[in-house]
Amino acid sequence: MKKSIFAIALVFFVAFMIVAAFGMRLFGEPIISEMDDYYIQNAQAETGANNVVTTIVFDYRGFDTLGEATVLFTAVLGITALFREAAK
Amino acid sequence: MKNEMSRIVRTVTTLIYGFIIVYGFYVIAHGHLTPGGGFQGGAIAASAFALLVVTYGDQGVKDFLKKDILSLVESTGLVLFIAFAFFGLGVTFFYNFMANSGGLFGNSAIIGINPGDLNTGGTIPIMNIAVGLEVLAALGVIILTMSAGSKNTKKKENS
Amino acid sequence: MSLLVSFAHIAVLVIMIIAAFLAVMFKDLLPAVIALAVVSLLLSLEFYLLHAPDVAIAEAGIGAALTMAIYIFAIRATRK
Repeated sequence: MKKSIFAIALVFFVAFMIVAAFGMRLFGEPIISEMDDYYIQNAQAETGANNVVTTIVFDYRGFDTLGEATVLFTAVLGITALFREAAK
Repeated sequence: MKNEMSRIVRTVTTLIYGFIIVYGFYVIAHGHLTPGGGFQGGAIAASAFALLVVTYGDQGVKDFLKKDILSLVESTGLVLFIAFAFFGLGVTFFYNFMANSGGLFGNSAIIGINPGDLNTGGTIPIMNIAVGLEVLAALGVIILTMSAGSKNTKKKENS
Repeated sequence: MSLLVSFAHIAVLVIMIIAAFLAVMFKDLLPAVIALAVVSLLLSLEFYLLHAPDVAIAEAGIGAALTMAIYIFAIRATRK
């Protein structure tokens, strides 16, 4: 009984995934792209850096990078507190 | 030392770890021109530290990698990053006040596809270096501490 | 050219699935961890084929090098 329910759910899941895969857009053609076009056209002139990905990570979206650095700092803090016996 | 690997692994590690560290610093320094950046370059340099610790054990690299100096470098990187975010506070937080100003890292970039000039980007190269130092030191501390902790656990289990 | 790229995608993904299956099936722990590192390395190759070199470098550094080092520490600690 349980196995048949699982099999039916699996069939529905796979069918849904296949239908959704046929409805996807082509690679590299998103539906909404106004913000991307703004970055690609103006990032070089506004910040002077050639790599647009680094421009977004460190300049336009700097808060995300600050959060990521804080997460790493907190991870080191936690690991050092966890292994404080081994550190002598 | 019973934790050391075989002679082949030791020889290859001695030959190769300097090149990996230099490549990591190259990726950090060219973060505003080529793919990569602070996080990626720091991860590459920290993988050289991981190679050294796996090969020689945490007692064998005691003279080369010191945990206190690495934590100092990590805090310095984070403080430098936040300081350069605050320096742009005349306009907004994280404002790029050095871009196109003509000074350090202040040349304006050529629009379009070009090989790139290292002296561009404003605060972006400095933030790359800060985040690179932070990630390098943080992952090095994690690797060193986990190696020492695993040895401690083994000693406690066997006794 | 596009046919070659699609063939490369399919080959990388099939080898990735085989390596992930091997990582589950190996009895010894060190070969299983190396198979996991192969999965990570092929994932970074797939990111590179999808025109995301930044993510590819991060994945190769974190997934294939640092994760494997930490797993090796754990295996060394649990083995006699």
